[in-house]
Amino acid sequence: MGENKSELGLLVYIIPFLAIVPALHSQGWDSSESAILIVAVPFVTFPVILVAGQLYNGHETWKDKLKEGGILALGALGTSLMAAIWLVYDYFDALPDFGDQNSIAHWLEWVSFDLLQSDYTLTSSKNILGVGVWVDSLTLMLLFVATFLCFLICWFSLGYMNTDPINDDRNHRFYGEFVLFALGMFGMVLADNFLWLFIFWEIMGLCSYLLIGFYYWKESAAYAAKKAFLTTRVGDVFLMVGLFMLYDIYGSLEFSVIFHDPSLHGAVDSTQLFWALLMMFIGAVGKSAQFPLHVWLPDAMEGPTPVSALIHAATMVNAGLYLVARMVPFVDVGHHGVPGLEDLGLIIAYVGGITAFMAAAIAFVQNDIKKVLAYSTMSQLAYIFTGLGAALWFYNHDEHHAAVVVFGASMFHLFNHAMAKGMLFMASGSVIHEVHHAHDHLHHGDGHHDFDPQDMRNMGGLASKMPVTATAMMVGSMSIIGIPLIGGFWSKEGIIAETWLAALDHEPLMIGPAILVLLTAGMTGFYMSRMWFMTFAGEPKSDVVNHVHEETPWIKQPLIILTAISAFGGMAFALLGATDYLSSSYGGSGHLRLHESTLLDSIIYKLEYAFLPKNQNLRIVGWTTIFLSFIVGPIFAARVHGGQLAKGESATPVVSWLVSLSGKFGSQDVTSLSESDLAEALENRLYFDELYEGVLAKTVIPFAAFAAWFDRAVIDGVIKQIESNSVSGSLQVRTLTTGSARDYILMTAVGMLSIIVLVWGISS
Amino acid sequence: MTSLGQLDLDSETAFTLLPELVMLAGVLAIIVIPNLGDATFRLPLTRIRIPILVGGSRLESTNDPRLPNRIATLTFSVAFAASLLMIDSSSEEVGGLLRSDAFSRLFSAIFIGALLLVSAATTHRIPAKRNAAVPKDDDSENTASRKISVLMDNRRQVDFHILLIMVGLGMSLMAMSTNLFMLVVCIELASLSTYVLVAFHKEEEVGGEAGAKYFIVGSAASAVGIYGMSLLYLWAGDLALDSLATKWAEMQGLDPFAAFGIGLMMVAFGFKVSAAPFHLAAPDAYSGASSPISGLLATASKAMGFVALFRVLVMITAPDYGEESSWFLMLAIIAIITMTWGNLAALTSENPKRMLAYSSVAHAGYMLAAISVIGSGLAGEEGTKMILIAITFHLAVLVLFKLGAFLVLALLETGGRGHRMEDLHGLGRKEPLIAGSMFLFMLSLAGVPPLSGFLSKLLMVNGIVSSSADTGSSSATDVYSWMDTVDPVFWLAAAIVINSALSLFYYLRLSLVMFFEEPEKSPKIKSASSLRMAIMACSILTVLCGLGPVSEWLVSLVSTSIDSLMG
Repeated sequence: MGENKSELGLLVYIIPFLAIVPALHSQGWDSSESAILIVAVPFVTFPVILVAGQLYNGHETWKDKLKEGGILALGALGTSLMAAIWLVYDYFDALPDFGDQNSIAHWLEWVSFDLLQSDYTLTSSKNILGVGVWVDSLTLMLLFVATFLCFLICWFSLGYMNTDPINDDRNHRFYGEFVLFALGMFGMVLADNFLWLFIFWEIMGLCSYLLIGFYYWKESAAYAAKKAFLTTRVGDVFLMVGLFMLYDIYGSLEFSVIFHDPSLHGAVDSTQLFWALLMMFIGAVGKSAQFPLHVWLPDAMEGPTPVSALIHAATMVNAGLYLVARMVPFVDVGHHGVPGLEDLGLIIAYVGGITAFMAAAIAFVQNDIKKVLAYSTMSQLAYIFTGLGAALWFYNHDEHHAAVVVFGASMFHLFNHAMAKGMLFMASGSVIHEVHHAHDHLHHGDGHHDFDPQDMRNMGGLASKMPVTATAMMVGSMSIIGIPLIGGFWSKEGIIAETWLAALDHEPLMIGPAILVLLTAGMTGFYMSRMWFMTFAGEPKSDVVNHVHEETPWIKQPLIILTAISAFGGMAFALLGATDYLSSSYGGSGHLRLHESTLLDSIIYKLEYAFLPKNQNLRIVGWTTIFLSFIVGPIFAARVHGGQLAKGESATPVVSWLVSLSGKFGSQDVTSLSESDLAEALENRLYFDELYEGVLAKTVIPFAAFAAWFDRAVIDGVIKQIESNSVSGSLQVRTLTTGSARDYILMTAVGMLSIIVLVWGISS
Repeated sequence: MTSLGQLDLDSETAFTLLPELVMLAGVLAIIVIPNLGDATFRLPLTRIRIPILVGGSRLESTNDPRLPNRIATLTFSVAFAASLLMIDSSSEEVGGLLRSDAFSRLFSAIFIGALLLVSAATTHRIPAKRNAAVPKDDDSENTASRKISVLMDNRRQVDFHILLIMVGLGMSLMAMSTNLFMLVVCIELASLSTYVLVAFHKEEEVGGEAGAKYFIVGSAASAVGIYGMSLLYLWAGDLALDSLATKWAEMQGLDPFAAFGIGLMMVAFGFKVSAAPFHLAAPDAYSGASSPISGLLATASKAMGFVALFRVLVMITAPDYGEESSWFLMLAIIAIITMTWGNLAALTSENPKRMLAYSSVAHAGYMLAAISVIGSGLAGEEGTKMILIAITFHLAVLVLFKLGAFLVLALLETGGRGHRMEDLHGLGRKEPLIAGSMFLFMLSLAGVPPLSGFLSKLLMVNGIVSSSADTGSSSATDVYSWMDTVDPVFWLAAAIVINSALSLFYYLRLSLVMFFEEPEKSPKIKSASSLRMAIMACSILTVLCGLGPVSEWLVSLVSTSIDSLMG
């Protein structure tokens, strides 16, 4: 513990950073002005870390005191967090009205595009690209999630990255890219027009690529990085096309211009807008790893675990959701939206439903702890997409109340999921880290090749070795599963119920996503429980487990904080009416407060609302969900993977109760099932990779070969021809420079005579 | 001819001519101070000895061979600051031949600024050493010659710096001249000094040869120019620029005397700005001279030529709006030949100094193309002003990146290299800062945003395009039919753009060898602190003058000065 104390003493170094915001406050800045700090401080810090790393690598102060830049990164992210909290504090209860007032700060009118008209005259237009901040409940929620998790995960990284000798002298790259990524996320959330949103979106894509390939010498990591980059690129191209189309319609990409009246007084053609939004949605599909562009996310787990936690679970993958959420004004017919876009909602809901189900199914057979979480992320994001799809559908039909509920529930689920999944990844990182160390300790570093510290088949019985991690992971899993009263329960319920509502009362086609998300709820219960039981319950499956200790500094604190938030945050925010609040930009009530006058009344109201809704259909759906996710999934998982701890081992009270409970369901042999064709197909991820590779080999590669030939032969050929002609011209011209003064004077005379002839010609 | 007037050196005139008087004082100081000695004069019949300072053995403090360089640098610094501060002051006539106004002061600042950089570089390029040893009998031949060359360098300090200041004096007065005669005399004052400076290293064969060639071709061109001037005098009976302008405006048709006079003066000025085909001696001169002097020729000397062109072409013979002047076609042809010739020849140059010389020819072509647009009569007052601002701005920032590039070569020359492309190999590894600066200079010469070379080229092309693009038919339905109708002047802009693309090849090639070639084994580059500082200052200003407040300040300064030129 002594060492632990001195490690935390390093936090002294981030004090200068943390002093920035209070200092500006005392200078009379207000929070909207200082919002630029949220992006600016990381923007200044990341090159500093990269350059300083190159200069001071191996230097003692740099390594031990500044953690190879980690402390600087933590300081910068701390500043962002403080500025963000300030902004949230100032605005969360006084959100400006929907409309152009949401653009709270506008610093710079940067570029105005002059348009070349068909008659070759230039017209200045209103198409100004400014730098500004857009604030509504979505911004505030996502900004808080991003800054808070970036800070905590950076904190976690200090323990995770800096204690692994393989990262020595390379951590500055990690922290530099981490900070660059963070600024991309913050900037995207704050942006007040789609162009900036896109720019920051791409910054995140770049950092994702760099960080997945952090261990670039591993072939699999390099491959995964390329795959992630290229797959998301497919989506990004569509997004770009979508933005072009949007610009074509509105002549601007500023939120304040576009959202003011998206139908332009009824002048917007809904088909054109539909295609623009669909293109943008494909971009979101790529970023958020949804079917059919989902293939990159599981491979992205090749990156260091904090990266998986941050980018591929808690923040970047939410960018797609954020983009889709921003589409609401276009379809909200109660608010100048364009009618006739309900197919968009349906498509989004279907993509969500299919992804949710498929990812959950694949998660059944994964043995790598991070891969389970990766598929779980895909599945949970798909829930939110389904919810947003339903919301868009409701908005487009002016079913205002239902729309607000499901939109708010989706955003609330985003919040719950980000908190829980960020923490789950960190917890899995903790497990991997300690197992890896224990293995190194046991085998003195040799025998690395045949031991996989991420494989859950090497674990089991860790509940007693890692009490904090086990508890954290239990709470996180419960939140994801949606165990009643915990975290994600409050939001997931809303999504499933409202999707069913849409299907039953309005649109029969919605039944597909509705059934899929309902089934997925049960499957979530199974695969999350399976992961937890395999890791923490039962007897140790390898001798390494007995040497695991939970003692690396910097790792526990974020876990504890996030455990508390996951356990109680969902309930607390649900009581305060988070779903209404989060949809406040689009018709919700806009204030975070108790529904009834006293806490007890509010709790009773909420419980009644959740468990005994007045609508008969909702009640059935709700209880089916609870039954599937709470009872069926976990019990089945316990029967397969549960088990008592080894004799003499004990864990924290709730955890040990859960473990012993899991042992009571007996065990079921699933060997025959796990050897079936279906299991094999799932294990091969339903052959999507093979399919894509086959298609690419048939189409893209021949075209690429042709393009390469064209480039070599035609384009290079022309350039080479120009070059060789220029060179021979050059040599000829240079022969005129003989070096003899007589020739020079001759040339001067020739020039003089030419001038005389020319002037004579003009004058006569 | 107006009377030359009385030059009363009262305090007001003295203030108006402050930079010139400072330089004059600098010349006197360089002559006098190093000769101060401890000689005394004994009053007859007494033992009282009065020190008279002249003669005897030299004092310890005046014996320092580095003194002339310091005096010159100080002189230029003071004169530069004075010129810069005087840009905003009102226009003052001096003695009927000179006028100090914003235009002339901006240019004297450009000239003296360039000379200041040259003098900072010379500290290391022609170093002076205290306590230089005299060769002994038993020294080997090498040692002896090295010692002798150190002694030679020490001895030449005074000559070199006097010449340098004379260049400044000539150029600065030239910018102020309101009389064609005075203008030509001042150009010759500056030119004669540069001829000697080019040939300054007389023990090296190339230097002497280059100087001689430059002198011969230059004097031939000057002779033609002076002959043209005499024709103008025959025509007008006066050489004051104002009366020449009035006379030209009143002229019916085109008087052959006037036309030939102007045409022949073009030869002299064409040589100064190194326009084809009068530029041929320039590459030889640049590669023969020491690099700072080459830089001086490529920037200050060229700017001087352009001031003369402004005075003659724009002030005397500028056509009215809508009328094509007699020299438009001639200048446009010269401009296109010049830029193409310069760029083509630079492509295969293996000597960086020659390459920069040809690049400087190409830049002259760009600027001549812009001037010729004024002659096309399409520009109008606004367009003329825009083009003049562009050229003046270009001449000002050229001091930063063209001279900066020559200073980098000067740094290499302190190690005895810098005349082969191989000398730049691997500079990026050995001297990252210097190589980075050189890279910046090359990008700026090529006109890459956001550097100042881009801004100046943009202003120039913008001036040409906005003058000529309106001539294109507005009813044209596609680009091709529009291209058919647009005035040929528009294609001057296209020529500049195509030439710039061509020029990128050799600018980037030089950058490429600095960063991607293996360095040759060679003596270490000297530390040369003030030279390095000058290079750094140039590179920082190259960036600052391209974007942001500094560039806006400079453009507004140039704009003020052009206002004062155009009255």
